[in-house]
Amino acid sequence: MAENKDFEPNIVAFLCNWCSYAGADLAGTSRITYPSNVRVIRVMCSGRVNPLFVMNALQQGADGVLISGCHPGDCHYMHGNYYARRRFNLMRNFLEYLGVEPERVRMSWVSASEGAKWKEVIEEVSEGIKKVGPMDQFKRRQLNW
Amino acid sequence: MVDVNKLREKAREVISREDVRELIGYRPGTYGFRARPAFVMGPDDTGELIFTPACVNNLASYIVLEEKLPVKRGEEPDLRKVAVMVKGCDSRALVQQMEEKAYDRDRILVLGIPCRGVVDMAKVQAKYPDVLEMGEIALEGDKFVLSFNGTKEEVPREELVADKCLRCRYPTPLVYDELLDEEVERFADDDFADVAELEKRAADDKWAYWEEKFSRCIRCYSCRNVCPMCYCEDCVLDRLQPQWMRRSVDISENTAYHISRAYHLAGRCIQCGECQRVCPVDIPLMELNRKFYKDVEDLYDYEPGTNVENPPLLSTFKVEDKEDFIM
Repeated sequence: MAENKDFEPNIVAFLCNWCSYAGADLAGTSRITYPSNVRVIRVMCSGRVNPLFVMNALQQGADGVLISGCHPGDCHYMHGNYYARRRFNLMRNFLEYLGVEPERVRMSWVSASEGAKWKEVIEEVSEGIKKVGPMDQFKRRQLNW
Repeated sequence: MVDVNKLREKAREVISREDVRELIGYRPGTYGFRARPAFVMGPDDTGELIFTPACVNNLASYIVLEEKLPVKRGEEPDLRKVAVMVKGCDSRALVQQMEEKAYDRDRILVLGIPCRGVVDMAKVQAKYPDVLEMGEIALEGDKFVLSFNGTKEEVPREELVADKCLRCRYPTPLVYDELLDEEVERFADDDFADVAELEKRAADDKWAYWEEKFSRCIRCYSCRNVCPMCYCEDCVLDRLQPQWMRRSVDISENTAYHISRAYHLAGRCIQCGECQRVCPVDIPLMELNRKFYKDVEDLYDYEPGTNVENPPLLSTFKVEDKEDFIM
């Protein structure tokens, strides 16, 4: 994929209510600037995120998906993030196997106090997706009959 | 080889038992070398039962797919056992279903058949396209013996055997009440060379490969319907609220279908190869399932359908699971 300087990716981020969402909020209240490509969807726990959400987001025009939850051991619901970790490790490997670049599906642990880390994560994700270009594998297209 | 008389005698004995409702086995098909499933309801129906290398179907699917009609008022539910004939690979489907608590062990009676490989019907059909009258296949040593039209032909095992049998890890059923033949020792192993080869390709190359495969899909859902592990009462594909994938046949929806089908089998697929066998457009579905199988084995040291005591893979976790992919 050729690097396109004008390409601004759409990133859908699923953030857990208790850590990452608060972390992103902290980044905002601390007036940290980070790339504005990310669209945040708040979920109660990273374990709530169905692997089909990822697939569906990529179908509907997201260029990348980020799932972010509490650090292992910090989950508000004890171990939701451990289940999520298993799920998305498999999903990521599988999408890579189909030819979807691994940069498009990312996962991170961001706690409520890590506003600065949130900025770094978003920068890294957005850089990675800019490098691989727009999602064109199985995005829904307008059909020309 | 299973002695057919012994098999029928055992089947007669089993179906005559009071606590057995029906027996699922194999009988000859209507043409060529084919065999088809037989549903035996009484001792008089056992005369046609066979087991040959043509018995490719995985009968474990029928146990979970049976429609459970509501019980009429005043009637007791029929709790008698279902007897089922299984090969090594099929028995793993039973183990995995029981691991998921689909039913209790005492609801089924398993007639295990140690198996040294079944044929790939597509290969047989390609080699003998004109055989329309009934033929028979037997495995003798390293050769398949095909008898039809009064002639007998010997074909080397490698030429006709199904691909899954070349990688079969469990030729003897892992769960059984009665074993119909002597145990077969493990004769092959799986190194996932085909998956590893595809993994190494560049992303564009991989997608070009899968795009061609997925674009052939006509969404007949045969692969779902035949799968012994696809027994959800409310399938995500049939749901309209939310509608996870649209019914239109285009590359986006086809890919979504194949991702969700394969993902639902992550840590559950037992490599019976039925999905690929029934696919009318020859999509290599096992390559998708085998990717998950390989990952699950590498990452979590888990093999589906081998131990009833194992908890299902994705409903459990270990604190020390790998997380090198996480930022």
